[in-house]
Amino acid sequence: MLPSQVKRFSLALFCTGAILSSGCATTSENDSLYLALGGHDGIAKITQLFVMEIAYDDRVFHHFADSNVERFAEKFAEHLCTVVDGPCQYTGDSMIDIHTGMDVTEGGFNAIVEDLMNAMNQADISIGVQNRVLARLAKFRGEVINL
Amino acid sequence: MTIVKPLTAATLFFSLCVQSALAQDGRIKGTGGVNSISGAGGGGLIPWATLSSHASAQQDGGTLFATRTNVDDFSLDVIGLSASFKNRLEFSLARQEFTIKANNAQIEQDIIGVKLRVAGDLIFGNTPQLSIGAERHSLRDPATAFAVGAREDNGTDYYISAARAWINGPFHRTTMLNINARYSRANQYGILGYSGDEKDGAVALELAAAMFITRSWVIGAEFRQKPDNLSALKEDSARDIFVAWLPSKRWSVTAAYVDLGDIAGAADQTGYYLSLQGTF
Repeated sequence: MLPSQVKRFSLALFCTGAILSSGCATTSENDSLYLALGGHDGIAKITQLFVMEIAYDDRVFHHFADSNVERFAEKFAEHLCTVVDGPCQYTGDSMIDIHTGMDVTEGGFNAIVEDLMNAMNQADISIGVQNRVLARLAKFRGEVINL
Repeated sequence: MTIVKPLTAATLFFSLCVQSALAQDGRIKGTGGVNSISGAGGGGLIPWATLSSHASAQQDGGTLFATRTNVDDFSLDVIGLSASFKNRLEFSLARQEFTIKANNAQIEQDIIGVKLRVAGDLIFGNTPQLSIGAERHSLRDPATAFAVGAREDNGTDYYISAARAWINGPFHRTTMLNINARYSRANQYGILGYSGDEKDGAVALELAAAMFITRSWVIGAEFRQKPDNLSALKEDSARDIFVAWLPSKRWSVTAAYVDLGDIAGAADQTGYYLSLQGTF
């Protein structure tokens, strides 16, 4: 298995476990956004595309140059999953802890938003679903920029 | 002249945009809007609280634009530019050329604008973007203005503007609302001078709404109330509905249907508005 496949496999196992243990696999209004993203597989795909977008984005790549890409991808997928009320648990550090000292500017934050838009476009996520996701993620801006 | 100017402007755009090696792209596409007929960043008929270009807090940016508005008995050609600094301060320059079709007479006007973002953000945080601005108008050809009873050939408008965009707006589309209060002494945007026998000036309301159908196509509408200073010539509110295409952060094309009401005694002036903008 390639490392990325291992990651996906372990993530799949983790999320499956989370579904079974939390019992939150029932469909509700909140679940619908998770499902609209394509559930676990959709989020994994978006995450991979998002990482690629960042890798080619000179505006923000320097923030990630020394990071562990595997870990970032795993924690981002978890975070996105929880933000859309998916049956996952975020196990990473707090947004503030992660971004403190990174000196992320408003422009850097916007660049990341655009990278995520591009990733979702490539994953064939509709504009409407994209906007629902982005509006939820936007609430974290204060925990990301100028720290 | 009317043909040459837009062409010159287009050539200017092209050379400047090509030369612009480092794109100032810190803001999300579309958040700079277009350039209004006064030159200030906004919609078409009114400025918005947004600052032109895509420059964010650490960046500076600029735009060049050419606009043609054509209604039944008149046309208005505008070329201009704007420069924005740190998403805080915007300066704009515009040259308007108004043509009375009946006798092919032309009236030219220069407008210098300044706009300051005083608080908030268009998209993020709890406070809408709040800006204040001023537009200094001076007529190059004041004869018509004085003939219809205007008191002055120049004047300054002051406005306060608030704008907010909701990422997940109606129909899950990113949607913006903008409201301005403007103190103006202008008669027909200043084309017919400033102040009159009936009024010195007035506070006017301006509204705009816009919706991103996709990331590159925007539709919207605007409303502009105006002072009615001249007893001899009734002045109406103006409105438009528009569609804008933003193929990239570098370019935008905006087309609109405009209803400018009565102008200088000519009733129900409706027609089209077409604007090309380059951002660098």
